[in-house]
Amino acid sequence: MRENRKFNRSAGLLAIIAMGAFAGAATARADETCQSPYMAKIEGEEEFVYVWTLGVEGVGDGSDKIVTVDARKDSPTFGKVVDTDSVGGRHEAHHGGLTDDRRHYWVQGLDSSMIWIFDIATDPANPKLVKTIDNFVEASGGVAGPHGAYALPGRMLISGLSNKDRSGRTGLVEYTNDGEYIATHWMPTADDPQGAKNGEKADGYGYDARVLPRRNVMLTSSFTGLDNYMRDIGEVISDPESMKRFGSTMVLWDFHARKPRQVFEVPGTPLEIRWAWGEDHNYAFTTTALTSEIWLVHEDANGEWKAQSVGKIGDPAKIPLPVDISLSADDSTLIVDSFMDGMTRIYDVKDPFNPKLIHEEKIGSQVNMVSQSWDGKRLYYTSSLLANWDKKGDENEQFLKAYHWDGKSLTPRFEIDFLAEGLGRPHLMRFGSSELY
Amino acid sequence: MKRLLLLLACILLPDAAAQGHEQAKGEHAAQVTGPADDWVYPLAEPGTYALPEIGKAADFMLLDEDGTAISLSRLFSGRITLLAFVYTRCGDVCPMASAYMAQVRQLSGPAGLSDLLGMISLSFDPQHDTPARMREYAQGFRSDDPSLPPWRFLTARDATAIKPVLAAYGQPVSRKRDASSPSGPLSHLLRVFLIDAGGSIRNIYSADFLDPRLVINDVLTLRGQAQK
Repeated sequence: MRENRKFNRSAGLLAIIAMGAFAGAATARADETCQSPYMAKIEGEEEFVYVWTLGVEGVGDGSDKIVTVDARKDSPTFGKVVDTDSVGGRHEAHHGGLTDDRRHYWVQGLDSSMIWIFDIATDPANPKLVKTIDNFVEASGGVAGPHGAYALPGRMLISGLSNKDRSGRTGLVEYTNDGEYIATHWMPTADDPQGAKNGEKADGYGYDARVLPRRNVMLTSSFTGLDNYMRDIGEVISDPESMKRFGSTMVLWDFHARKPRQVFEVPGTPLEIRWAWGEDHNYAFTTTALTSEIWLVHEDANGEWKAQSVGKIGDPAKIPLPVDISLSADDSTLIVDSFMDGMTRIYDVKDPFNPKLIHEEKIGSQVNMVSQSWDGKRLYYTSSLLANWDKKGDENEQFLKAYHWDGKSLTPRFEIDFLAEGLGRPHLMRFGSSELY
Repeated sequence: MKRLLLLLACILLPDAAAQGHEQAKGEHAAQVTGPADDWVYPLAEPGTYALPEIGKAADFMLLDEDGTAISLSRLFSGRITLLAFVYTRCGDVCPMASAYMAQVRQLSGPAGLSDLLGMISLSFDPQHDTPARMREYAQGFRSDDPSLPPWRFLTARDATAIKPVLAAYGQPVSRKRDASSPSGPLSHLLRVFLIDAGGSIRNIYSADFLDPRLVINDVLTLRGQAQK
């Protein structure tokens, strides 16, 4: 169990000085990339993949559930479902996250605003529900649609998508690791910019929230509210008023003070955020869902933070709808999934201002999330976006597919058909290992 | 690297924290040294932000450096407390954290916080970290300047006694597979708690945020709130 890479560097240097021996070298790790830097890391390969899965009426028990998949390559149940934990009912299962000590997995329902906390430490092969939070909207003062669950020291940061009026104005909500409410931080708006530079452009939407501790900055992105994301996507696209209600900003925060510092105009709904890990890499990537662009938010030599488009994803005119992204632990490659064409595209981003496409491949009729092992060799893909936005009929494939990536090509390792197995629509994945406990 | 060397000096020389700070002041015109060269970032002014209550700091009976039983609640009472969980066999994060604690202590004097701040380093390895060992460990970090805040180095009676403390504070500790690891035999996430005079936890620092300047600003923020 170790803290983030930055910390290990300092600790290692201290150890070199103190003992005259290299004692703090980075241990080879195979944890998932793109997690909170405050989290403990898995040393060795992931053993389990926990898939937060939307229930589908008529499929299995029809309920949202955590599906635990065995990822131990020498196990007799490798690539198989070894446990399912239904939460009862359909809540629009979507995102979640692990606490900093990795003992608990928080998962949320975008529709019901319910939060479930599972113990994955006592028996990593068999998660157990230990707490349910059913007053998120009331406790937070009106935030709804809990989305991300991001580990802070001893706390969880929940980024909302909506509010009790079902529009897109939302906020960030802090809880203790035990699930006790701490505070709400509302996103800035043009009417209430909270002192942010360029605050007149603030739109109040939210989606992802991620921290770069060594620069004391947090970055947030923006999506849309309950009225849009719980509606059929065809209806949303054909309604000009609905299409106006999507976010087009990112916000840079003073993380320690939890105050917005600067608003960036990033048209086309910037979603997932990935900070680089490198010690001098003061930048983050995002992609815009509606305009199919890769954006870079970076600190320049004068300490000014800027956002700029650095590339296109596929043919933006065809609206490939980029969704999840994953940045390798060495900051060299960026994986971008696009939902509509079912493609994964892998870019060389060693020069973050000039991403170069090095591989593209169709994963399925639709694809959404991608999770990558720390060594970059194992990739896991799931298919579902939102219950009312997934494709219909034969194109509604629902799967978990695991691949090996050798830097040039993807080789299948296993796949699970989530409809045939009576599970539902697979969405967020997180890795687990008994080595941690 | 220069600041890391200063940190090393803090560890090896009892009064080096003050010396290091003075050197840093000379270099940066009163800007307090941050945890490392490239960790220095602008901080919000004290009192311009909130530190919401995170929960109550649990009370336990522990042992001080003389082996005398002492309760945490007694130490918390009337002071803003910085509580760090460490173990003396740790080869990386704990000595670094203790060096930062020493800097916080040195800075609290000029900030006018000596009478308000209290500091505790608590071992989660009581089988090895006896009261005598904690006293010895303290000598590497704690200067004898009586004008600075009290800094106690505590331990527990045994492993059974420390277990509920770790559970109450959410401090994960486990044994490494390689017990001979140069960085120490135990795995843990560094957690340092800021506790107000009423016994409520107001911040939890990881290694990334144990910046002495930031901690002092937080203490000043709590003092300002208490005075309103």
